[in-house]
Amino acid sequence: MSDMPDFSNVNSGSSSTATKIREVKSGDSLSKIAKQEYGDAGKWQLIFEANTDILKDPNKIFPGQKLKIPPLA
Amino acid sequence: MLSKLRLIAVAAASVLALVACGKKEPAPAPAPTPAPTPVAPAPAPAPVPAGVTVSSVSLGKAVGADKKVTAASDTFAKGDTIYASVDTTGSGSATLAAKWVYTKDGKTVPVKEDTATISATGPATSEFHISKPDGWPVGTYQVDVTLDGKPAVTKSFKVQ
Repeated sequence: MSDMPDFSNVNSGSSSTATKIREVKSGDSLSKIAKQEYGDAGKWQLIFEANTDILKDPNKIFPGQKLKIPPLA
Repeated sequence: MLSKLRLIAVAAASVLALVACGKKEPAPAPAPTPAPTPVAPAPAPAPVPAGVTVSSVSLGKAVGADKKVTAASDTFAKGDTIYASVDTTGSGSATLAAKWVYTKDGKTVPVKEDTATISATGPATSEFHISKPDGWPVGTYQVDVTLDGKPAVTKSFKVQ
């Protein structure tokens, strides 16, 4: 329709020195979130340990839960 | 003698009348009750933290571990990853958003929008970044940074 460029394949992300708050969405897992937040799925334990007040089992997270995503040291 | 008695009687009556008329001075009005000492004003409530505010936004091609750009720039190459580093002050929970747009001939095309909710305990730096595997179209772009949905800072940059 126009000569405007296509930006559909743009990748993006964010990180912070502050603790981020992330709401669990359907299909999320701690390793998936760790991959998106830290670029390393293996860092899921960091997220689990920061959220033991609401998580008892790292394999059980539910949509709507608000997880603390600590900054990487 | 009779007139003397009359005289005495008149004098006595006068004295009596005078005594009767000598009203007692009215009691002085009671001293006005001193105005109640004003109650010391309650101490001002402790200042409520102003919450999180955006203090600055910098653009660059890379960020360090502190999330600050290592070399600020507003001109990028086609293959660059573009970073917007957002410094905030204050504490509390806040949602930062970075809306990236491409502008051409007065029109804007959305590129990407990301949000990050942070729980800050003091000054913090957050970064947003974008990349495009097949390279950025040459032109003018801008990133609008908002805080809790309110515009905070807008930065323009070019890809050439």
